[in-house]
Amino acid sequence: MKTTRRQILGTAAAGVAAAGCGYSLSLLGKEQGGTPRRPPVSRIPSRVSIVRASGYTMDVYDAVYRTVAEHRLDVRGKRIVIKPNLVEFDPDTAINTNPLVVHAAFEAFRKLGAAEVKIAEGPGHRRATLDLADAAGYFATVPKFEDVFTDLNLDNVSKLVIPRPVSQLQSLYLPHTVLDCDLLVSVPKMKTHHWAGATLAMKNLFGLVPGGVYGWPKNVLHWAGIAESIVDLHYLFPRQFAIVDGIVGMEGNGPIQGTPKQAGVLVAGSDVAAVDATCCRIMGIDPKKIEYLRIARGEENLGESAFHQIGEPVNAVRTAFELIDPWRQTIRAV
Amino acid sequence: MTDWRYKQNRDGGWAYNQGCSWTEPTAFVLLAQIATKIDRPSFEAGMKFLRSTQRSDGGWSPHPEVTESTWVTALAALMPEEAIGADRVKQALEWLEGQTGRESTWSFEFQQWIHGIREKNPEGWPWFPNTAAWVIPTSLGILAFERGLTHGENRSLRGRVNQARQFLFARMCADGGWNHGANRALGRDGDSYPETTGIALLALHGASRAPMNINDAAAIERAKQAARRHLAVCKTAEGTAWLRMGLAAHGEVSPLQFPPVSRTTVDAALTAISSGFCNPLLS
Repeated sequence: MKTTRRQILGTAAAGVAAAGCGYSLSLLGKEQGGTPRRPPVSRIPSRVSIVRASGYTMDVYDAVYRTVAEHRLDVRGKRIVIKPNLVEFDPDTAINTNPLVVHAAFEAFRKLGAAEVKIAEGPGHRRATLDLADAAGYFATVPKFEDVFTDLNLDNVSKLVIPRPVSQLQSLYLPHTVLDCDLLVSVPKMKTHHWAGATLAMKNLFGLVPGGVYGWPKNVLHWAGIAESIVDLHYLFPRQFAIVDGIVGMEGNGPIQGTPKQAGVLVAGSDVAAVDATCCRIMGIDPKKIEYLRIARGEENLGESAFHQIGEPVNAVRTAFELIDPWRQTIRAV
Repeated sequence: MTDWRYKQNRDGGWAYNQGCSWTEPTAFVLLAQIATKIDRPSFEAGMKFLRSTQRSDGGWSPHPEVTESTWVTALAALMPEEAIGADRVKQALEWLEGQTGRESTWSFEFQQWIHGIREKNPEGWPWFPNTAAWVIPTSLGILAFERGLTHGENRSLRGRVNQARQFLFARMCADGGWNHGANRALGRDGDSYPETTGIALLALHGASRAPMNINDAAAIERAKQAARRHLAVCKTAEGTAWLRMGLAAHGEVSPLQFPPVSRTTVDAALTAISSGFCNPLLS
C-alpha cells in the first residue's frame, strides 16, 4: 500500500516513528527544537520562466504547457493539486486567478502524465466557494469542474505540528487533499496586497488553511504573524510549482479593492520564492523589502544573480504596479 | 422536503458534502428538521452524535480531528434542551462565556494603552479561541445567549448580549450591511456580504424588541435596506437563506421565487430553516 504524505507527516507530528519522523523533518527543512532554520538555498540559480501572454486566449494553453514542460518536472503517476486564488464574486475585475490559466495548468499536468489532477481552494472571505468559482467563470471553463474541485475550507483535516515554526503557530490543521498530493501547484494572481506588499504564489498558500476550522477570514494566521505564517506554510510544502497569472494583475489597494493592471506575463518555476521575487521585480517592487521573501530565502539570496531567468528578461516586461501608502515609500524598487 | 437520512453518516452526523461528520452541518440539519419536519430516527441519531462529541471543557470542536472547542459551540447551545440535555447546554454557555475576541482582552487593551490607544472594544466572539471576534460567531453567540436567557434573567449573559450587539453596530459597513467585521481597512470602506448581513440582522432581532436608542434603531433600518438590496441579486443559497431569516425576524417576509442551488448540506439546511414554519434559531 502506498504511504501518503499525510500519513508520513501525521506520524511525524505524533512523534511515534523515528524513521518517518526523520523523513518528514527533512522534508520540512527543519530540525527538532531550537530556533527556526531556513532550508538551504541551492547555489545553482533557480530557474524562473517569464512568458509573454497578451490576453486570455487559447494561446495560454500552449504557453502554460511549454512552460511546465521546460521545467522537466517528474509528474508521471503523481497526484497534483492546483491551487488558484479565488477571493471575490466579481468576474469583471482582476481579483481571482483567471480560469483559463488554471485550466491550462490542469491540462498541461494531465498531458505530462500525472495520475490525478485536482483543483482546490479555500477562500478566505466567502463561504460559498462553489458559487464563487461559478461566478469567476470556472464552471464555464473547466469541464466537469465539480468533479475535479475540492473546497479546502470544508475538506477533512489532520493536525500537523510545525517543528521550529517561524510564526507563533505551533501546529496547524490542514486539508487531506493537499497533504496527500505529490506536487502542489500554486496558481495565484499577480497582485499588490495592503498588508503584505505583494500577494503571489507563497501568500496564495493561506487558502490551504481550512475555514471550517479557523473561520473566515483565517484570523489565526494574522495573529501568528502574516509574513511568518506565509513562510511556515511555504516550508510545510517543499514540493511546489508556481504559475503566476500576471496577464492582467491588480495594482493599488489589492488584494480586493485594487484596479486591474495589464502586465502580459506568466511567471513560473519550482522555486516558489524565486518566482515571487521575480514577480516583484516585474511589478517594480524590491523583493528584498518583502518581509516573507526575506525570511524565506534571506536577503542575500534575493538578488537577480540568484535566479536564472528563462524566456523574457525582467527588464523587457517590467511594469511598475501602483502602490498605496505606506508601501509606496518602502518597497518600491529604485 | 429534503430526505436528510440520505446523506446522514453512520455516526449520526452530516458532512458538508461527503466524508466525516462535522458539527456545523449536523447542527444545521437538526435545526432544519425542527423548522420543517422531524424525522425521529434521523434526529435522534444526529443528537446522539452531538452529545457524543461534546468536549470535556463544555464546548464543541468543528470536526472530530480538531482538539479545540470553537464557535460551533454556539450552534450546539441552540439545540432544544430536552433533546440534547440541559446540563450540556449550560456547559456550552459557560464555555462561550469564557470566550471573547482577542482585541477585547485585558492584555491586548494594555498593549494598545502603551501605544497611546485608549479604545474599548465591545466584546464579540471569535471563530477560533484566542483570535479576534467576527460577525458570524458573534451573531450565533447572541442567539445562543438569548436562548439561555429564556430560562431566567442572568446579568452576565445579558451583559454579553448587549456588548455583542454593540460589536455588531460598530462593525456595520458604510452600505448598511455587514461583511465579516472589517468594515474599514486602511481608511477605506469595505463592502458588505449577503450572508453576514442576513445573520447579523437576525441576531439583532432581540434588540429591536427592547427599547433602543435612536442610533441603533436607525442602524437596523439601514441594515434592512441593505438586506433587501442584497436579496434582490443574491445567487447563493446560504446568503439568500440568512437574508430571508434576517428580514423575517424584523417582520418582512420574502417569498423565495427561484431557490439558488444548494451546494452543501449547510446550504440545504439553511434554505429549509428559512422556509420553515418557525425559526429555531430565535427565542
